[in-house]
Amino acid sequence: MALSATTTIAFKTVNTQICSRNFLPPQRHLPFSSSLSSSSFVRTVSARAMELERKNPPVIDENGVLKKGIAEFYDESSGIWENIWGDHMHHGFYPPDSTVSLSDHRAAQIRMIEQALRFASIPLEDERKWPKKIVDVGCGIGGSSRYLSQKFGATAVGITLSPVQAQRANALAASQGLANKVSFQVADALDQPFSDGQFDLVWSMESGEHMPDKAKFVSELARVAAPGATIIIVTWCHRDLGPDEESLKPWEEKHLKKICDAFYLPAWCSTADYVKLLESLSLQDIKSEDWSPYVAPFWPAVIRSALSWKGLTSLLRSGLKTIKGALAMPLMIEGFKKDLIKFAIITCRKPE
Amino acid sequence: MRLLTHNMLSSNIKGVEKGFPLRIEAEKVVEKPVEMNADFLRKMFEKVEWKAFVEASRSMGYAQLPEEVDSGMLESDEFLSRFHHALLELHLEEGALVCPETGRRFPVNKGIPNMLLHEDEV
Repeated sequence: MALSATTTIAFKTVNTQICSRNFLPPQRHLPFSSSLSSSSFVRTVSARAMELERKNPPVIDENGVLKKGIAEFYDESSGIWENIWGDHMHHGFYPPDSTVSLSDHRAAQIRMIEQALRFASIPLEDERKWPKKIVDVGCGIGGSSRYLSQKFGATAVGITLSPVQAQRANALAASQGLANKVSFQVADALDQPFSDGQFDLVWSMESGEHMPDKAKFVSELARVAAPGATIIIVTWCHRDLGPDEESLKPWEEKHLKKICDAFYLPAWCSTADYVKLLESLSLQDIKSEDWSPYVAPFWPAVIRSALSWKGLTSLLRSGLKTIKGALAMPLMIEGFKKDLIKFAIITCRKPE
Repeated sequence: MRLLTHNMLSSNIKGVEKGFPLRIEAEKVVEKPVEMNADFLRKMFEKVEWKAFVEASRSMGYAQLPEEVDSGMLESDEFLSRFHHALLELHLEEGALVCPETGRRFPVNKGIPNMLLHEDEV
């Protein structure tokens, strides 16, 4: 790859502890019922977490370092992404085995939103049942919020850790005449600045992978959901563990860690882990599916765009974080090919 | 930040029982006219916490909203235009949102509130 010359620069790994296996916090933070804690998977992981905590005193403000890294990564990279790919910072949805050109990708990204709504059984034909208040958790530069607001005539608020993204998202809303319906704030998905039960659609499109505490992330999604609301999570997961497996294989852990370092991701979990978390919160109609076959053309297309003249010149003008992220892209393709990485959708409903 | 947004935001600092509404410290308020949509206003009327809205509007320098309201007022053009003005045309560009219980200030810069909590507030 043409950028290999830059690999001679030694990139400082932000935090080697970030991608540890222990994404569940010590027991005292777990908000959910004993039906989950009875599973051996939780016992193993939380026992290991406590053991590690005893042996290695936690790095001070580890999550703070991660959050800062995420904010800076997106502060630096969002502009270049938007310049080449537009305002949707998520995968496109492609018919399997299709060949697509760059001009099809925006349509594919819209299709991803529409397919997600369909999968979640949002009653698209009945206007009276459309969501009226939407929250976009990990909103990027607001592509989903603006699209959903226009589609449903709803208000939407988005939250992001990146001040640059919030600024850009608001500016785009204003330029599209949507500023009275859509607004963006800097806030943490793990502590959403909203009171309980405010939103009838809770939307998380490819932000879950950044959340260091999956249990807290999911419980916040449930908290801000109104009775009867729909929760839609589209996120990167690792493959479900087999019945005899306690963890991924060493090569799989190593592979994911490289991606974590480049994209400011904490430890990955599986789709099954998300389903268990939603079950523990007594959410209903829980559905999940592996959409990896439908996103296959995406990373090759992103790489091609990075290697274009526009892509290369933009990258070289961007910064080390963006370049490091770009260099990790082949790892995503490899991860999908080896059935390690899964592109997952998980949806559910909050009881009335 | 418009008052429509302010009406949704709350302080979730650990231990805080009632983090809504956030008090407004206005340093720079800008008025940006926007076209009125009566249908939208009627829909929003159901969702707005009115007392918090009137108080917030006052902090932004606009005191023309009635203290008490009923849905009959939605027929009045005068009321709709005041509601519209306060809800959508007043922008807090610089200032802060203050937690009603702890006094903690969440800064607002360039119109964007920063609601990130510190490590010890989580």
